[in-house]
Amino acid sequence: MVSQYGFKFAIHLITNHFGKIVAKVCETLFRKGPLSLGEIIRSTELTPEQVKNSLLVLVQHNCVQAYVPADQFRGEDGSMATVEYLALFDNIIHRLRFPKFLEIAKHQLDDECEKVLDGLLRDGRLTLKQMVERAVQGKENPGAIEAVVRESFHKLLKAHYIERCPAPEPVVSTLIKAESAPRKRGSKMAKKFEAPETIEQRVLEAAVPGEAIRFAVTAYTLGNADREAKSDDSSMVNDGDNSGGIANEGSILWRANFEEFIRHLRHKLLVENERKRLDDGAATILSAILDVTKTVEKKVKIEKSAPLSLDSIFTEVTKTEHGRTMTIDRVRASLVQLGCPQRNFDDSYSIDLKSIVEMARNEEVESIVLKRFGSDAYRIFRLLSKSNCFLETDKIAESALVDKKETPRLLYKLWKDNYLYMEKLVVTAAKQSRFMLWKVNKPLLWEYVLDEMYHAALNLSLRLAFEQEKDEDLLHVPADKLVPADKSSEANALQKRYRRLRDVLFLMGSSLMKLDDALMLFHDF
Amino acid sequence: MNKRKREGLASNSDNMSDAERIVYNVIHSKQNMGIWMADIKRETSLPESMIKKSIKMLQTKGEIKEVVNIKNKSRKHYMAAGFEPADEITGGSWYSEGKLDQEYIFRLRQVCLNYISRNVIANRDGILEFINRGGYFSGTTTQEVDQILGNLVLDDKIIEVKSTGYGDYEKFPVGRVCYRCKSKGGVNNGEGKIGAMASIPCGVCPRINLCSPDGYISPKTCEFYQKWLDF
Ligand code: SF4
Repeated sequence: MVSQYGFKFAIHLITNHFGKIVAKVCETLFRKGPLSLGEIIRSTELTPEQVKNSLLVLVQHNCVQAYVPADQFRGEDGSMATVEYLALFDNIIHRLRFPKFLEIAKHQLDDECEKVLDGLLRDGRLTLKQMVERAVQGKENPGAIEAVVRESFHKLLKAHYIERCPAPEPVVSTLIKAESAPRKRGSKMAKKFEAPETIEQRVLEAAVPGEAIRFAVTAYTLGNADREAKSDDSSMVNDGDNSGGIANEGSILWRANFEEFIRHLRHKLLVENERKRLDDGAATILSAILDVTKTVEKKVKIEKSAPLSLDSIFTEVTKTEHGRTMTIDRVRASLVQLGCPQRNFDDSYSIDLKSIVEMARNEEVESIVLKRFGSDAYRIFRLLSKSNCFLETDKIAESALVDKKETPRLLYKLWKDNYLYMEKLVVTAAKQSRFMLWKVNKPLLWEYVLDEMYHAALNLSLRLAFEQEKDEDLLHVPADKLVPADKSSEANALQKRYRRLRDVLFLMGSSLMKLDDALMLFHDF
Repeated sequence: MNKRKREGLASNSDNMSDAERIVYNVIHSKQNMGIWMADIKRETSLPESMIKKSIKMLQTKGEIKEVVNIKNKSRKHYMAAGFEPADEITGGSWYSEGKLDQEYIFRLRQVCLNYISRNVIANRDGILEFINRGGYFSGTTTQEVDQILGNLVLDDKIIEVKSTGYGDYEKFPVGRVCYRCKSKGGVNNGEGKIGAMASIPCGVCPRINLCSPDGYISPKTCEFYQKWLDF
């Protein structure tokens, strides 16, 4: 379930990027769930034209997915089908991270790949033909540029950073409640821990092309490559003649594969956290493991890395720059540090990634507690968080060495702000006594903190816009007025204001990016 | 009052009045937990004035004493003279006269931290020996050191590790619980890593629940931001 401020922040991003009308359509979809075109028009009281255009924009930018509910679908021609539109929260929030995605493409691949990706992120969806057209526009030597774009495209595709667009209107069974009703009493507990499948998950699953097609280039390019290798089988993989391939190039739509970028960012967090907690060696090993196992990851939030034998881990590690000199004993010792004390019975190791994520979450929450409630509360909170069970007020005071009078006050403050969970216990023995029991309920708390984070991101973003607006005139001041050589008092004041604005924008911008890391940590990882 | 209990009472109960004896027996039966006025009244069913008088007499005779109960300092709490108040009453060794001895705790923490940062890795016994040898504090117990170390861990100043038997851990048997400083450069300054939320005004704002874009408290008018952006 997405939090209240999560939606508000998403709407804020859409308003910034596409304007108020599109945002209104998007907000309606968040508020009411998936709707048909007619329902959206009725709910928003916008003109059909406005709604249609908004939906086009949202679909183009992968913020909305259309689908046909199975129960509405009649016959092959789909004559009775009503298309419904579903707003994709995650994809909207990803818009905040585009600079990070570009950075990854630039660093891991090259500047040209970054440019191609930039075009895709700006336009949402493009065919290869459009990507080429976009790049050569108004440039000399279009032939060379086209070759570069094609090469970059292939690099991005090979790294899975781009993918084919999902099916435009898949048919999806939406009868979720009936199917997931508990069958047996015994299975109820087990069921509880499975995240329930949402309509969104179903729709996305139905829309995404199969793994083989998702990252496959057109038949044309395949054929082309084969022909170069003078293969006799080229006609087998070729669609037929070249014209078919070229038509494909103009019709297959591509987009950035957010999932792969998020996976990359998750891996980075995991590795950096272990580097900080343990050492460079452990980080190198974890990084090597994640690199080889990522191809088998079915989703981003996997709990454990795929099992790998010590030999293959060692081989991978020695391929890396920092791991070249490591001995197998060193690798084994680091695996123990990474929480694999014994290998699995089949001589393989797999790393508990979930616990690394949880440690990072704990750290973030604890740092909020320290800053907001002080060091005594911090100690109390860490005591409860580590013990992971109910503790009684006096016991807490004793263990945390906080004054017995002060302890209930701090506990109450933490509880009032939703950081603790409390239960009253009344014992009626010789005389009646009342105890207060306290606990950190992590899943609940994380949800709450995430909501506060969206709230903070919204506020930060609003204030950033406000600061920009306030000093808008500065952005139009000619550059020569801002050089320190001009010593007039007017110029001096201007320079001072300019420097302040620059510092403000830098601080707020980088804080927002850092906050976004935390949003991913609590939502996507 | 049953017979057996009566036999086990202090020998000088002879010089007590009946009321005094009844009150004394109740107080004595509570041993090192003591008892407070209202409970004496409930258990003895004597009139309050008589209890008060008896208590006064017993105090003068040195048979009972008044102690501070950490849970409720305003209540008058009594205990037979022969007992030392239990930790539940005094608050344990960290309390003196019903107050948390912050000074003592602070100094003990400093000694532990210094020792660990100087030795990189340390275990409890080493620290305890150091404390007692140095004569910093008289009679520091194992439990006290354990608790201080536990607290330093909670404060994220040191971390608890198990000896691997190699390198820095050479001196300690494999698996022995040891402590080392959080950061490699020495004792952590205590601030730890400042998270994303903790470094912006809204992340630690006490009014976040009252703040909304068009509300009375809003990001545009917020004074916390004013301060934060005041370069
Ligand atoms: S904008 Fe200001 S008042 Fe609102 S939550 Fe942030 S810091 Fe608090």
